[in-house]
This record gives sequence, C-alpha cells and structure tokens, in this order.
Amino acid sequence: MKKITYTVTERNGLHARPAGILVKLCNEFSSEILISTINQVASGKKLFALMNLCVKYGDEISVSISGIDEDTAAQVLQEFLYRHL
Amino acid sequence: MHCFFKKRLQPKSGVVYATQTGELLPIEDMPDAVFAEKTLGDGVCVLPSGNKIKVVSPVSGVISTIADSCHAFGVTTKDGAEIMVHVGVDTVELNGRFFWTRKRAGQTVRAGDTILHTDIAAISAAGLSTHTAILIANKEKFDIVEIFTGHVLAGETPVFRYRKKSTEEAQ
Repeated sequence: MKKITYTVTERNGLHARPAGILVKLCNEFSSEILISTINQVASGKKLFALMNLCVKYGDEISVSISGIDEDTAAQVLQEFLYRHL
Repeated sequence: MHCFFKKRLQPKSGVVYATQTGELLPIEDMPDAVFAEKTLGDGVCVLPSGNKIKVVSPVSGVISTIADSCHAFGVTTKDGAEIMVHVGVDTVELNGRFFWTRKRAGQTVRAGDTILHTDIAAISAAGLSTHTAILIANKEKFDIVEIFTGHVLAGETPVFRYRKKSTEEAQ
C-alpha cells in the first residue's frame, strides 16, 4: 500500500472541479484509492463522496492506494495534488 | 400495497429535467474546458434567463451533496444515477454570495423541487458565466440515450434521458 499525506493549498478546497479531475484520474487505476480527512473517508472514484468530505484550505488529507498499479497511481496522484490542490 | 403498480410503471430509462428556465445547450458549450471535456460527467448545460431565479432538482431522489458555497449539488436517483448540477463557472469563488438554500444533504426531493435561489444578474455582473451544467456523474454505469435542445422550463422540460448500462458494459 502507498500513502500520501498532503496539506491543501487551493483556497477553495476540494470543490467540484478538482474533485471531478481527481475522480477521473482515480478511475484510470484498478487499485483501491481512499481519500481521508481527520474524521471521514471516501473513495477517490466517487464524485459525491469526495465532495462530501468538505475539504477546505489548510486541511490535511491522506490518500491510500492499494493494488497492482499502486506505484503509478501514487505518482500520478502526487502530481495532481501539487497541481490542483 | 401500491408496490405492484409501481413496479409495472417503472420506466426503463430515466428523465432529467431542466434546473432553470432558459436555453438548453450541449455540454461542449460550457465555457470551461473541464466541463466541456466531460471530466465531471456527460450531460448538457442551461443558460438561464431572468434575474433572481430558482434552481430546481432535475430528478427525484436524495440530495447527496450540496457545496457549502451552494453553487453545486448532487442528487442520487432511486436507480442509482448520480446527477450533478453546477451553477455557473468559477462560482466557487463567490463563496456563497448570490446563492441561497434551505436544503441539506440527505433530504429527499422530487424533480422540480426548489434547491437553490440564485441572483443570475449579480453573478453575471461579477463577471462570471452563468452556464449551468447538468451531468450524470457516474457515466461508467449509465449512458445518455437522448439529448434535447431549445427553450426549457425549470422542472418541466426534459433535458436528457439516460439508461443503465448492462452489467457487462459497466465492467
């Protein structure tokens, strides 16, 4: 399993547009991808679940990836976090 | 005791209605590449007409999510379709200004029920597009089988029709 921890620097947090991009990326991998905040967990492959995490600027989130393509997924998601969150 | 009739009358495809009164356009006309390229889902957009207008639920179901800034919400239908509505482009920047709602996630709504009130004129005056995306977010499970165009009335005119993919297709 791969785990990435990230503090959100996008001032609007994980709103609809970045959440949509994240879902699209996550669905390109067969690995299970979970996004967690301090008190909630959601599948990275489900838009509504991600939006309900209500991730705000300054929140710390962690991304757990497990499956056969976890290495590539971790790289791609790391890149996403830097660029969009 | 009405189960028998409900089951018989259940349509094979689902209908999604206009969220606002205005002009119905293809999703490619959304002035934002992420929406136009269907990253968030497949669907249509409405260019609302009028000033202070309401945004209604496009389907019957349960409100799955409402953004804190009220510019976007999602409704999940009984058959599992996740319908996402995003009012305007970059309207997250308004941080709730010009948007009002009394609805909360978890509430059951019918197609045509008011979800938001918006001040379209004020959003435009703020320099933002008011194009509203109506999308099917879980497009891996559903196909759009018919898309409409033209002038639409909030909660009354269908904007698209979807159908569940067969199990093999959804894999």
